[in-house]
Amino acid sequence: MEAAIRAEARTTTVATDIEPAPRHRRVPRINLLPYALIAPAVLVLAGVLGYPLGMLGWLSTQHYGLRELFQHQGEFVGLQNFVTLVGDPEFRHVLQISLVFTAVNVGLSMLFAMLIALLLERVSSAIRILLSSGLVFVWATPVIPAINLWQWMFDYEFGVVNWLLTRFGAGNYIHHNWFENPFQGFIVVTVIVVWGAIPFLALMLYAGLTQVPRELVEAAEIDGARPWQVFTLITVPILRPLFVILFSLSTIWDFQVFNQVWVLLSQRPSKDYFLISVYSFQESFRVSQYGLGSAAAVVMVAILAAVSVFYIRQTVRLTTEDAR
Amino acid sequence: MSRRTFARTLYDGVGIVVFIVMMFPIYWMVSTAFKPGREILALTPVWIPLRPTLDNFRTAMNVPYFWNDVVNSVVVVLTVVALSIVLAFLAAVSVARFGFRGRTPFIVMIIVVQMVPLNALVIPIYLLLDQVGQVDSLLGVIAYYLAFVLPFMIWTLRGFIANVPVDLEEAAMVDGASRVVAFMRIVFPLVAPGLVATGIFGFIQAWNEFIIAYVLLSSSSKQTLTIWLTSFTTQHGTDWGGLMAGATLTALPVVILFLLVQRHIVGGLTAGAVKG
Amino acid sequence: MRPRKLLFTAFVMAVTLLAAACGNSTTTTTTTAETGPLTIWLMNGSAPQSVVDGVNADFKAKHPNVTVNVEIQQWSDVTTKLDTAFAGTTPPDIMELGNTLVAKYAASGALQDITAKKSAYENSGTWLQSLTDSCTLSGKLYCVPYYAGSRAIIYRTDMFANAGITKPPTSMDELMTDGQTLMAKYGSDPNFSALYFPGKYWYAAAPFVWDFGGDIATQSGSKWTGALNSSQAQQGLTEVNNLVSKLSRADKTGDELKQDQAFAQGHIAMIIANGWEVGVITDPKSGDPTLQAKLGAFPIPSHNAGQTAPVFLGGSDLGIAAHSKSPALAQEWLQLLAGTKYQSQMVTVGGVIPNTTTLASLSSGLPAVFAKAATNSRFTPNSPNWANVESANVLQDMLVSIFTGKSSIPTATSSASDQITQILNS
Repeated sequence: MEAAIRAEARTTTVATDIEPAPRHRRVPRINLLPYALIAPAVLVLAGVLGYPLGMLGWLSTQHYGLRELFQHQGEFVGLQNFVTLVGDPEFRHVLQISLVFTAVNVGLSMLFAMLIALLLERVSSAIRILLSSGLVFVWATPVIPAINLWQWMFDYEFGVVNWLLTRFGAGNYIHHNWFENPFQGFIVVTVIVVWGAIPFLALMLYAGLTQVPRELVEAAEIDGARPWQVFTLITVPILRPLFVILFSLSTIWDFQVFNQVWVLLSQRPSKDYFLISVYSFQESFRVSQYGLGSAAAVVMVAILAAVSVFYIRQTVRLTTEDAR
Repeated sequence: MSRRTFARTLYDGVGIVVFIVMMFPIYWMVSTAFKPGREILALTPVWIPLRPTLDNFRTAMNVPYFWNDVVNSVVVVLTVVALSIVLAFLAAVSVARFGFRGRTPFIVMIIVVQMVPLNALVIPIYLLLDQVGQVDSLLGVIAYYLAFVLPFMIWTLRGFIANVPVDLEEAAMVDGASRVVAFMRIVFPLVAPGLVATGIFGFIQAWNEFIIAYVLLSSSSKQTLTIWLTSFTTQHGTDWGGLMAGATLTALPVVILFLLVQRHIVGGLTAGAVKG
Repeated sequence: MRPRKLLFTAFVMAVTLLAAACGNSTTTTTTTAETGPLTIWLMNGSAPQSVVDGVNADFKAKHPNVTVNVEIQQWSDVTTKLDTAFAGTTPPDIMELGNTLVAKYAASGALQDITAKKSAYENSGTWLQSLTDSCTLSGKLYCVPYYAGSRAIIYRTDMFANAGITKPPTSMDELMTDGQTLMAKYGSDPNFSALYFPGKYWYAAAPFVWDFGGDIATQSGSKWTGALNSSQAQQGLTEVNNLVSKLSRADKTGDELKQDQAFAQGHIAMIIANGWEVGVITDPKSGDPTLQAKLGAFPIPSHNAGQTAPVFLGGSDLGIAAHSKSPALAQEWLQLLAGTKYQSQMVTVGGVIPNTTTLASLSSGLPAVFAKAATNSRFTPNSPNWANVESANVLQDMLVSIFTGKSSIPTATSSASDQITQILNS
C-alpha cells in the first residue's frame, strides 16, 4: 500500500513541460528577450548593491576605525581581520551560539508553523479567517515596538508574564530577571523570534497544503491509511520543494537575527548574548572597528552560503527542468 | 458524520486557543494603547483598561511632523511595491520561461544577496548615496527597499509562473494570438494572486524597515513612521502608552489591506507554492 | 562562468574607482561669504521648543537670507547615525553630542577645533568645569558646553515623616541608618525599597568611589591605568554594596531606565536620580501627579559628615563639524544658544542645569538642589576610547557581579581595571 501511495505522489510532482511544436517563424539565434526582461531588475540590484557589497568585501581587508572612516583612508591588512576572528575564542563561542540558536529557532518555527497550517486546514471557515487574520496582524506589527512589548511583558517588576506564571503556580516569578542567565534569556529571545516567524511560514504552508490533491488523500484513506501515514507518504513528498524554500529562508533569516537581541537588552547586550550579527554590529558601530565588523559579516555570508549549497544546487536543478 | 463534526469542533477549539496565544501580545499592545499611564505601570496587571483613554493616540499623532511621516511612509512603500512587482514579475518570467546564459549566475546571485546582513551594508550604502547626492532623500530609500525585496519577490513569482503549464500559452498561440498576448491573457490572471501575495510581503518589509531609513533620512520632514516610533524612547525613558498607540496605528493599514485582499491571496499562494 | 566573472570584475572596478574618488576628496574651505543653509541636529527632548524658536528668530534678525534647519534626532542608535553623517560629505553644521561621546569624535577629526574662538562665547570664563573638560582633548577645545544634569537623592517626605526621620541624612552612615528605619517601617511590603538601586546604575555608584578618593582611571603622560582596584575605590564600592543589599529590592541585574515609573507606583522611599526625573515621576501620563507635594531632594552625602559626594555630571555639548561649509554662521548660532539669554530659559523652562555657574542661582525649588550638587562634580576619563569602555559595559558588568555576589569586590574591580586599562590604551 505504501509503495502505491508513494508512486501516486511522485507523479503529481512531475513537471508538465512538453516540447513545443516547432514554430514556422524565423527566430533569431540569440533571443534577447530574456535578457531584456531581467535587465531592469539586474540594473537595480547591481547599481544599488554592487558598490556596497564590493565595499563590504574591501572593508573586511582593512583596518578601519573612526578616523579612517572620516578621512576615507584605510590601512590594508589583508586577511588579518579574518585571522583575528578565527583565533579569537570569543568569536568562536559566538559562532557556536549562533549556529545552535539558528537550528533551534528554525526547527521550532517550522514545527509550529506546520502544526498551525494543518490546523488551518481542518477548522471551519470562520475560525480560519479569524486565525489567519490574527497571524497577519502579528506579521504586520512593526518589529521594534513588538520587541519592546515583549520586553515589557517579561519585565522584572511590571511583567505580565511574570505575574501570570506566578499566578498559575509555576513558581515565584515576581522580581525575576529573565536575562541574568543567558540560557533563560535566549529562551525569551527564541519565543519572540518564533512568534514573529510563524505567521509567514504557517500561511505559506497552509497554501501548500491546499494544493495537495484531495483525491490522493481520499484514496489513501479508503485504503486504510492513518493520518500520520497520509502526512509522511503523501503530503511531505508533494510539499518538498516548498519545505526546501521555507527551511532555507528561515535559516537565512534566523542566522541574521539582530533586533530581537539588541532591542530586548536595551541596546547593551552582555557578551553572553552575542549572536554573530550582534558581534558584527558591536565591532562596527560601538567599538568603531569597521574592518573587523565587516569581516564578521563576510564570515556570516560564507557560512550561510556553505550551509545552503545543497539548497542552491537543488533549486538550480529544479528550475533548469522548468525552463526550455 | 457526527464524528466529523465533533472533530471539527475540537479543531475549532484548538484554533481559538492558538489564536489567543498568538494574539495575546497584540492584545496587550492594543489595550496598553488605551490605558492611562498609571494602569500601564501597575504592579498588578490591568487586564481590561479601567479608564480607557484616547490620550495616547492623541499624543502620538500630535508629535511634530507625524503626518509628514505618514505621507513619506505611504509614498515610499507604494512606490516600492509598484516598482518591485513590475520588475520582479518581468525577471521572474524570464527565469521561469527561458533558458539563457547567465540564468544560473542570476539565480545564484539573488539567493546569495539575501544572505548579506543589512547592518553590515549601512555605511557603504550611505557613502554610495552620499556620492550621488541622495542622502536625506526618499529616492535613495526607495532604491534600497527595492533592492531588498526584489530577490525574494523574483524567487516567489518564478515559482508561480513556472507552475502554469506552458501548453496553455501554446494553445492560445495556436489559435492565432501573439506570444505576448497569449501570455497576458492566460498566465497573468493565474499569477495575479501570487502578485498580490508578494506585493503584501514587499509592503510589510518596506513599511516596517528601520535602520536604512534612520541613517539616511535626517530632515524632520522626510522621515518615516518607523523613525517616528523611536521618538517615544528618549533618555528620559519610554512613553509606553504612546509607543503602543503608535505601534497599533502602524500595524493597522497592513491588517486592513490584508483583510481586503485575503480572498485573493489564499488562492494565489496555493497556485505557486507546491512546485517551489 | 563568464557572466559571473564579468560581474565580479565590475564590482572590483567600481570599488577601486570609488575608493580612489573617496580618497581624493578634500575639504573645501570657502573664503566667500557664507550663505548657509545651516543645518543643526538637536536631540529629542533636549531643548524646549520656545528656546529653539527664540534662537532661530534672533539669528534670522541678523541673517535674514540664511535658511536654518533644526532637525530633531532620536537617541536610539544615535552613534550609528553620527558615524555615517560625519563620514559623508554633508554632515550637519552643528550637532548636539552627549558629553561622553565627544572625545571619540573629536579624536577622529569630526569636530572643528574652536580653541581660538573660545572667548567669542558669552560666559566661556565660567563654563561648568566638567562640561568644558568633556570638550577638551589634548589641550584643544572642540565643542561648546550645552547643558548639564547631575544627580542627587529624591525622597518621599511623607515616608520620612512617618518613619520619624526629621531631616535628610548628611552623611553616608546616616543614610544607612535612615534607610534601615524605613525598611523596618515599610519593609513588609515585598515591593518596598528604602533606596531603590538597580544593579547596572553605574552613575549612582560612582559618587561613592569618588568620595573615598578612588577613581575610574588615572592618566600619566599618554598612558591610562584602570584605578578601580585601589583600596579607596574598593572602600566606596563596599559602602554601596552594603546599602544595596540592605535597602534595595530593585533588580540587581537591571538598569535605571524605569526607576521613575517604579517610584511613581508608591513603594519606594528614595532613588538616586537626575533633576529632570522629578518631572517624569509627577507626569500625569505615566507617573503620579499627587506625589508632587510629597517629594524632596538632598545631595548624596559624603562619608565625611556635612559634605556631599562628588557626582557625575551628565549633559550635552554642541560641536561644529570639521567639514562644515558655514562655520562662521554656525558659531553665531551657537553663541546664541550657549549665551545668557537662552541658557536662562533652558533653566527656567527646560529645568536643566545651564552651562555656566553664573546662572545656577536661577534654579529654584527641587532643581536648585541638583544645581548645587553639580558644583561638586566629576567626569569620566576624558579619553577618546572612553566611549568604547561604555560600549563594552565594563562598569555595569562589574557592579552586577558585585551586587549579585558572583564576584568578590577585589576580584571584580581588578578584572574591570585590567579591561579599562586595555581599552583606554588601545
